Amino acid sequence: MNNGCLDNRKKEHDNSQKRPKSYKFGSKSDDFALAIAKVAVAQLCESVGFQGFHLSALETLSDISVRYIYSIGKTANLSANLAGRVEGNVFDIIHGLEDLGSNLGFSGASDVDRCVVSSGVVKDITHFIGVSDFIPFAYDVPGFPVVKESTKTGSFWEKEEVPPGEHIPSWLPAFPDPETYATRLSVENETMGVSNGKKTESELERVERKMDRSLLNLQLRFAHNENKGGSSHGSGYVATESNPYLAAPLHVGEKEVSPVVLPTKLSNEVALRNPVHVDVGNHVSVLETFAPAIEAMKSGLCDSDNGKKKLLYDQRPTVRFKIGIGKKSLGTISDFGSQNEEDLLKIASWFGNDNEKDDKKDEWKKF
Amino acid sequence: MNHNPQSSDGKHDDDSALSDFLASLMDYAPTIPDELVEHYLAKSGFQCPDVRLIRLIAVATQKFVAEVASDALQHCKARQAAVVKDKREKQQKVIYLCLLSFLISFGLSDPLLEQDKRLILTMDDLSKSLREYGVNVKHQEYFADSPSTGIDPASREE
Repeated sequence: MNNGCLDNRKKEHDNSQKRPKSYKFGSKSDDFALAIAKVAVAQLCESVGFQGFHLSALETLSDISVRYIYSIGKTANLSANLAGRVEGNVFDIIHGLEDLGSNLGFSGASDVDRCVVSSGVVKDITHFIGVSDFIPFAYDVPGFPVVKESTKTGSFWEKEEVPPGEHIPSWLPAFPDPETYATRLSVENETMGVSNGKKTESELERVERKMDRSLLNLQLRFAHNENKGGSSHGSGYVATESNPYLAAPLHVGEKEVSPVVLPTKLSNEVALRNPVHVDVGNHVSVLETFAPAIEAMKSGLCDSDNGKKKLLYDQRPTVRFKIGIGKKSLGTISDFGSQNEEDLLKIASWFGNDNEKDDKKDEWKKF
Repeated sequence: MNHNPQSSDGKHDDDSALSDFLASLMDYAPTIPDELVEHYLAKSGFQCPDVRLIRLIAVATQKFVAEVASDALQHCKARQAAVVKDKREKQQKVIYLCLLSFLISFGLSDPLLEQDKRLILTMDDLSKSLREYGVNVKHQEYFADSPSTGIDPASREE
């Protein structure tokens, strides 16, 4: 009895408030159920004798009917748990109905030790079924909510695979397909061979490429480009050594740079005259200088839909290509320090974690 | 169902009546679909695989809704009867005529005439009938769900 009063008071409280966003009945996921309830309530209203309804009234009534079901379930579950059961039975439901109908009253409610079996509520319902017309629901309702089955990666044991190491127990989830990481290593080996077998630089490269492990297809193409770049210039070592992405960003005036401004056609001669400046040349604006090359590569590729990946891919070959052509562009751009820094910043803004990457490389360099 | 052999005949009758009633629910499909009831019972934490019990709750809800709706219908009819009685006096009032001409110029029909024709479930009647069932619902004053929303309270107060 007490429970029923509390429930009703709670209901009143809920209704008088505006629905909070987090409340179960106001959530977006409940729209389908509420729509079904609306149809059912509308059918019932029609059967009673109404010819129309205001939408607000219909919504209120369907909401209340849904809450009615909910509170019956709540009370029935409570009494089932009180009796030490997990699943409810008829008596729990009758208890719930009596609790909810207690403020209206039913026959025999005043009797203290009445039997649940002969409850007045059930008699009322039986009577109602006899009196009311049979109105089937207008639509076929599919079972809801639909729970999507998630595909799990099975363990080694389920997949009938042998774990790659003895220290890995077979009940752990299996590794992903080897193409996603194993071939990656072989590509790296190739690049190691190409870039004069310098171990330190290949280590650096590995760190650098941790970001795009899964892009196997792109990586293969990358390897191809790299091979071309390496073989045509034969100075892979200088490339990684003077890679602006590996070096810490320079401040203005930190590095001494000769302020040479020359027309493009003379740049080759300049480079021949001052071979020392090759390193410096590598710090020029990469993107501006190699815009045509990037364009050509872009057109040659089937782009992935992810723009970031594409940029990642584009970034690599430009770093490589720059070595040879860097000499040409030396004359075209003045004010290296600031320009370089701007470029780095520009690129860093595209790739959010580039700064971390730079830090890592700094550490590597210290070693 | 635990049947006590020492129970009286009346209890035995009730027992069989209840089981008969539950058995009859297998064939009776209530207007409120089983899936809806199952969904909200699952939300409340109640679990029961028995279809009969779910139907029992569905029928109980249906009874509740039908009772509320029929009460609202009575309120609606009573209000309309009152409106019809007062209508002659009201129509002579200038304000009402002004409003009427204003509404007609906008292509809307006379709200009072419209209400005469049809039985419509409104928030006013619903909140009145729900109050008897312990649910306190207030009609939002600003909620314009019909052309007569702004007019009704004023005309009723007169």
